[in-house]
Amino acid sequence: MLRTSITIMLLAVSLGVAHAGDPAAGKDKSQACAACHGKTGNSKNPMYPRLAGQYEDYLFQALKQYKSGKRQNAIMKGQVANLSTKDMADLAAYYASQKGLVNTTP
Amino acid sequence: MRTKSVSTWLLLWVGLAMAGAACAQEGNAEAGREKAATCLGCHGVPTYSNVYPTYHVPKLGGQHAQYIVSALKAYKAGKRGHSTMHAQAATLSEQDMVDIAAYFASVPRD
Repeated sequence: MLRTSITIMLLAVSLGVAHAGDPAAGKDKSQACAACHGKTGNSKNPMYPRLAGQYEDYLFQALKQYKSGKRQNAIMKGQVANLSTKDMADLAAYYASQKGLVNTTP
Repeated sequence: MRTKSVSTWLLLWVGLAMAGAACAQEGNAEAGREKAATCLGCHGVPTYSNVYPTYHVPKLGGQHAQYIVSALKAYKAGKRGHSTMHAQAATLSEQDMVDIAAYFASVPRD
């Protein structure tokens, strides 16, 4: 019983860890993104969204959806095609760690 | 003479097209603030989460207006799959979109 609980807990932890990205690794992987989104994710061109300060899990979700086609965008589709799940998690962690977007309260 | 009239027309056409584009981009942040009341029910609650799958509802404060409009249009057209946002965007006119976008863009960033 105890062993089963521990196994379940470890499994839950490892699943959680799979989504937690490494911001430093994300920074290294962000060079292609920087061309449109800016070095820290504060894009200058208003066509492209600011990513800096956005929630990590939302960014990760958006990347996955570009990859799956649930979000259709020709540029992003090409960009995410070669990204692994770990790459997407790292990139999301990097941009979330930067200063930029804020919550808006009524 | 013929060349001149063609270039004049071309110039006029380009000018009108640019003016049209500028008008289409013009949003009123104050009007947008009122129109954004529904948006803030989710986007105005820090740490609020989407479910199935679970992730935070994105921050919009300080986002580019032009990007917000393109995202809303994509939700409306079904190019972004999200049933709640599709339903919300479907009710918005182009003017509503630019006003709402102007409001979120006007929020000072970190």
